[in-house]
Amino acid sequence: MNELRRAWLITLKDLRLEFRTGGRLLSMIAFVVLAGFLFAFALDQTAVAGRDVAAALTWLVILFASTAGAGRIFDPEEEEGAFRHLLLTPVSRPAIFLGKTAANLAVIWLVTALTFLSLTAFLDVRDQGSPAAHAAVLLPGTIGLAATGTFFGRMSRHSSLGDTLLPVLTFPLLVPVIFFGATSTARVFLERPWPEISGSVRLLWAFAVGSVFIGAALFRHVSDE
Amino acid sequence: MTLEGQRLVCTYGPTRALDGVDLVAGGGEIVAVVGPNGAGKTTLLRALSGERRPDRGEVLLDGSPVSGADPGWRGRVGLVSHRTGLYRKLTVAENLTFFASVHAVPEPRSAVARALDTIGAAALADTRVEALSRGQSQRVALARTLLHDPDILFLDEPFTGLDPSAAAALESTLRARRAAGSIIVLVTHDLRRCQGLADRVVVLQRGHKVHDGETGAADAVDLLRFFSPTPADPS
Repeated sequence: MNELRRAWLITLKDLRLEFRTGGRLLSMIAFVVLAGFLFAFALDQTAVAGRDVAAALTWLVILFASTAGAGRIFDPEEEEGAFRHLLLTPVSRPAIFLGKTAANLAVIWLVTALTFLSLTAFLDVRDQGSPAAHAAVLLPGTIGLAATGTFFGRMSRHSSLGDTLLPVLTFPLLVPVIFFGATSTARVFLERPWPEISGSVRLLWAFAVGSVFIGAALFRHVSDE
Repeated sequence: MTLEGQRLVCTYGPTRALDGVDLVAGGGEIVAVVGPNGAGKTTLLRALSGERRPDRGEVLLDGSPVSGADPGWRGRVGLVSHRTGLYRKLTVAENLTFFASVHAVPEPRSAVARALDTIGAAALADTRVEALSRGQSQRVALARTLLHDPDILFLDEPFTGLDPSAAAALESTLRARRAAGSIIVLVTHDLRRCQGLADRVVVLQRGHKVHDGETGAADAVDLLRFFSPTPADPS
């Protein structure tokens, strides 16, 4: 059987579990809405323009929400030891990684959409920048976040420090995503021409592709005993 | 068909869970592995199944080394553990269909229906696993294990939590698999059951094999001596 089809089966299974369990998704959504609400009150918008900070806040909220969610990606696999049985099927480790990353990515996209909607509403920057340009920046950035979160979400399972270890491992690696993501999104908000943005987007794509390939290649080292 | 573990050594930090254990199991044979807690039974099962790579020694099938890294080997192996390995929020049918599909079982839905009929659980198809009793879950776990028709079965305390009728059904399934030529390695604490079901019994103590013989050669009372505390075992 095609490994991509197996990866797709894992994605569908994970999304079904995600929406039935709801815990991880709900906690991420609650965080996003509360963060947007609090930023709106914490910022003195007579002194700081919303569009000057919207990009940085958007990426920080997405980063924190996705990292918090990454710690729980493998919860349903561990409840009754299902991951052990999944590893004993012929499915390859890269296919498991790709399947779980795709499911994680779908959840992150939902959270990203909500973050974007809530922050642009609270900071009053709704009509600034083309939606297509925003999506073109967010897409590679979130792929990088999803792949990194899935890999280190599994790795942190082997440590007694667990969720504490996850941000320590992931945040330094995600500096390029946050840097190039936030600067690109800021330029989109300022409606700068695309050639000024495309260089950073190419770097985001390089990070996304690299993290997916490296994660898939190394996943067996964090999944198998 | 012969499965052979040769001089298997597995360590967890400073602890040697297995210390040079040999085990041979042939097709059409049920080998029971017994021993006190911490003897290394589950580790032996994990090493044989390929789930855990031994630190030393190797596992051979008909003389050729096998490894958990080989998808072909994983497709021939079935595992029942004391944890069910099912997704609690999915229904029984969704669980089985998922595992049948990743095993590339032809027509997975029909295979699931047949498997549920075989274990007498067709009525549970649309029930979420979280709503099942321990015995029902264990029966579904067995159905999941048999979906891809493995010829090598590893069972770790499969009778735990089963009522007498479910335990009898499991025994009957294992006898049928043995008659079909499967290799079955069974870890259990139930000495009487292993006397009635297994062809051979292997006793582990502190990571060493201390007995390996046909079940008729020693009765359950004889085997009990291996569970007695020894001077080296203050517990």
